[in-house]
Amino acid sequence: VSQKADLLQGTLDLLILKSVALGPNHGLGISRRIAQITQGTFDVKPGSLFPALHRLEERGWLASSWGESESNRRAKYYRITKTGQRQLEVEVRAWQRTVLAMGRAIDSTS
Amino acid sequence: MSRLRSLWRNLVHHNRVERDLDDEVRAMFALLVEEKVGAGMSEAQARRAATIELGRVESIKEQVREVRAGARWDTFRLDLRHSVRLLARSPAFTAFAVASLALGIGATGAIFTLFDNIVLRKLPVEEPDRLVVASFGRPGRNHNYSLPYPQFEAIRTRSQTLSGALATNPFGRVNVGIRGEPGTAEGIYVSGGYYATLGVSPARGRLFEETDDRPGQAVAVLSYGYWQRRFGGREDILGSAITLNELPFTIVGVEPASFHGTEVGRPYDLAVPLRARDALDEGSPLWDQAFATWIYVMGRLRPGATIEQAEQELNVIFRQVHSDGARTPNEVRLAREMTLRLQPGSRGAASDLRNQYERWLGMMLGLLAAVLLLASLNIATLLLSRADVRQREIATRLALGAGRWRLVRQFLTESLVLATLAGALGLAISVWGSRTLLRMAVPSAPQLPLELAFDLRMMLFTAAVSLGTCLLFGLIPAIRATSPRALVSARQVGGSRQRRRLDRVLVGAQVALSLVLLVVAGLFLRTLGTVWAQDPGYDRRNVLMFSVDARLAGKRGPALPATYRRLLDELRTAPGARAVSMSAVRPVSDSYYFVSVVSKLGDKALPNDQGVRVAFNVVAPGYFGVLGIPLAGRDFADRDSLDAPRVAIISARLARHFAGNPIGQQLEMGRDGTYEVVGVAGDSRYARVKDSPREVVYLPIFQTQPRHIFYAPTFEIRYTGSASDLMASIQAAVSRTEPALAPFRVRTLEEQTQDSLSRERLIAFLTSYFGAFAGLLACIGLYGLMSYRVTQRTPEMGLRLALGAQPSAVRWLVVRDATATVLVGAAAGLVCSFLAARMVQSQLFGVKTHDPIALAGATVLLLMMAVAAAYLPARRASRTDPLTALRHE
Repeated sequence: VSQKADLLQGTLDLLILKSVALGPNHGLGISRRIAQITQGTFDVKPGSLFPALHRLEERGWLASSWGESESNRRAKYYRITKTGQRQLEVEVRAWQRTVLAMGRAIDSTS
Repeated sequence: MSRLRSLWRNLVHHNRVERDLDDEVRAMFALLVEEKVGAGMSEAQARRAATIELGRVESIKEQVREVRAGARWDTFRLDLRHSVRLLARSPAFTAFAVASLALGIGATGAIFTLFDNIVLRKLPVEEPDRLVVASFGRPGRNHNYSLPYPQFEAIRTRSQTLSGALATNPFGRVNVGIRGEPGTAEGIYVSGGYYATLGVSPARGRLFEETDDRPGQAVAVLSYGYWQRRFGGREDILGSAITLNELPFTIVGVEPASFHGTEVGRPYDLAVPLRARDALDEGSPLWDQAFATWIYVMGRLRPGATIEQAEQELNVIFRQVHSDGARTPNEVRLAREMTLRLQPGSRGAASDLRNQYERWLGMMLGLLAAVLLLASLNIATLLLSRADVRQREIATRLALGAGRWRLVRQFLTESLVLATLAGALGLAISVWGSRTLLRMAVPSAPQLPLELAFDLRMMLFTAAVSLGTCLLFGLIPAIRATSPRALVSARQVGGSRQRRRLDRVLVGAQVALSLVLLVVAGLFLRTLGTVWAQDPGYDRRNVLMFSVDARLAGKRGPALPATYRRLLDELRTAPGARAVSMSAVRPVSDSYYFVSVVSKLGDKALPNDQGVRVAFNVVAPGYFGVLGIPLAGRDFADRDSLDAPRVAIISARLARHFAGNPIGQQLEMGRDGTYEVVGVAGDSRYARVKDSPREVVYLPIFQTQPRHIFYAPTFEIRYTGSASDLMASIQAAVSRTEPALAPFRVRTLEEQTQDSLSRERLIAFLTSYFGAFAGLLACIGLYGLMSYRVTQRTPEMGLRLALGAQPSAVRWLVVRDATATVLVGAAAGLVCSFLAARMVQSQLFGVKTHDPIALAGATVLLLMMAVAAAYLPARRASRTDPLTALRHE
């Protein structure tokens, strides 16, 4: 299994927003989708996932409702809100800047 | 917006949100299981794996709760419910804690309300901070707040530093007739600029202007309260005619409801212009007399002017008016020596009520702070003991990773519940208490002199005090019980040494404080006893007194003494009346105090500044007989009338100033009075029981110019039987004499004496009450401490008893344990009570600050209470069953 990076809170928020932006999903689905889109680099445990989901919902970036899963099980579905969408763009830009800066920093030392 | 919505959802639909969270976690679990079964695991394997992956469900939920809006409120609510449950489980403790705190908070609130209303509060007028109060006197000596009218007129017209000046002169009772129907009220004369200077606007109609203060203007303004009481707040009274002492006046306006005049504690019912005095008052016009002091003067500083500048300027005016008006050598001297003083007037004019009670109320607040501190310490001790019982629970929670602050917060929540309950109860007590105390302070006033409204300031004060005590008694146990060291000792028999020391300090402090209070109470009780036991020089038993004022029935000039003389005759025939007389000043007076200077004794003329300062009274024949004052020479008689030679009776103390027998010698008093001394009366207290005996001159009442003396004289009646029977016959006699007259200020001489000691009685009552309360608190604290100690030492006691110790020895062991704490506390208390006694020294009378009876009495009382408190747990200890005790281990 690949190495599990420590998740900074900002990173986790970004990942969740990105994952939900791809389509509404329930908690486990979000966790699995994150693992999938990061090719297994990040494995979000329920212990961090639930508080993060609720925090994002409190801020109004996510909205939730009860629905049925593919296997007809009742599950709580999260979808991204308009402000969540904006926030995602903001975070993506910030992250890209960080990546760029970090990349340059690393290149210059090598 | 969404945050508000989620706050609403979290707080209001709290249960639904909880259930939702639960469902969500459950659904997650089901999905996990399903996923793992899909991957080929058996149901049981899948469940186990899912459980592991999900982790600790409760911890997840807890974290989710933390991030939700209103999370803090949630934990508070949880703590609150927990605290209420804990408190409900020990109702005796809760009731005691709430009751003792409520009593402390309530009493403090009551005294604060009085202090606020009498001492702190500013007048409800425009910019009260710019008001100033004028007085005059020799520098460094007592100042006179009454000024002569010419001074006021000069200040009003000439001052550049004042934007306005006002003068008042309360004239006491006035008969207000409405369409012929009489009724008494309190009246005041005010200058034309009174309302404009204060910046008061009318509630109805208009208030006075300068043009109203002219001779011949008969207009009146009602106070809001009187308008409501007497006129039912009717709008149509404006412009309607009333009579004041049978003279016609017109109502022009009503003052605002918040305004009660410039003197705190002396509200009036209606105001008339100063110049109306010419018509209403018998006295000679004082308008141009530069040395007759009779009006209170206040002013308003111009913006930018300081009080020092104003004082300087007014002093120039003051001296000029004084020296222009000086006629006699004495007046020239006065004009030279007297200076005018201005004081800040935001709290209104000089107030008798404030003078009398300011220091006292401050002292009482200090005392109550001590009581409150004591009650708080007491509850802190009890809370500590309760925390001990929960020591294991606390230790476990801390070990499981609960934050210390979280636990402290929970403890404080419990204290907050107690403080809130006590605060609410205390607020009710203080509303009731402030009225009751005020009533006790002015027992003879027909109406409370202050309007004690239930207001925001009082609520804020009570809330602040409650919170303060809450922090005080809540923080100590909260911090101690959750300290890491307390944790270690949780498993230790007998509790930690530190914990025991803290307990002892708390109980010792309580003993010390309550001893201080008991000593102060003792001193005041002794003061009261000493004052009451003073020989006043007259016999105060079986004397009934009342006043009438014939001016209120429209009598003027010679009709006044004639009316009183007829009333005296009628009273002599009243059943139950053994002897009857009348006087201007009551033996214990609450209204008048006449002073003068004797300048000639017999042939010996005294130099100007060596005259004998005397108090004087005017009395009817028979006065000395009624009061049981011994008299040598002759009494006044009916023949001592206006056209007969002028005579006087002097007190024994004044007689000593004469060479030889004063009877038959001449005496010169005041400006123009020469009298022949016809009798010498025994010394008695003039006007106040606490006064030291002084030189007194008595003049015959029917030989005196009516305008000087006949301000509501007092009739004294020595009676047999009951005072209430006598009262009925007095009523009859008064209405036979003059149907429009009504007796007032009806008191027996004993009641009047008690009333005059109302402040002393109030102090003695309050200090005893709180001394006893504090002592009781200390004993409950001690009892709690000893009970706790006995519980801790049960195994030891059992062992001792099993090894053959006598129960009495075990009892002694416990009592001795308590004795050390009590004795150290008592010693500290005695030292402090010396200091406290110094502070109250000025209020004591005839008692030294180290009065042995008060000191010993208080100490013995407290020690006895302490022994009783320690004995109960001691007895329990001595009855320990050795077997049970040992099994305990």
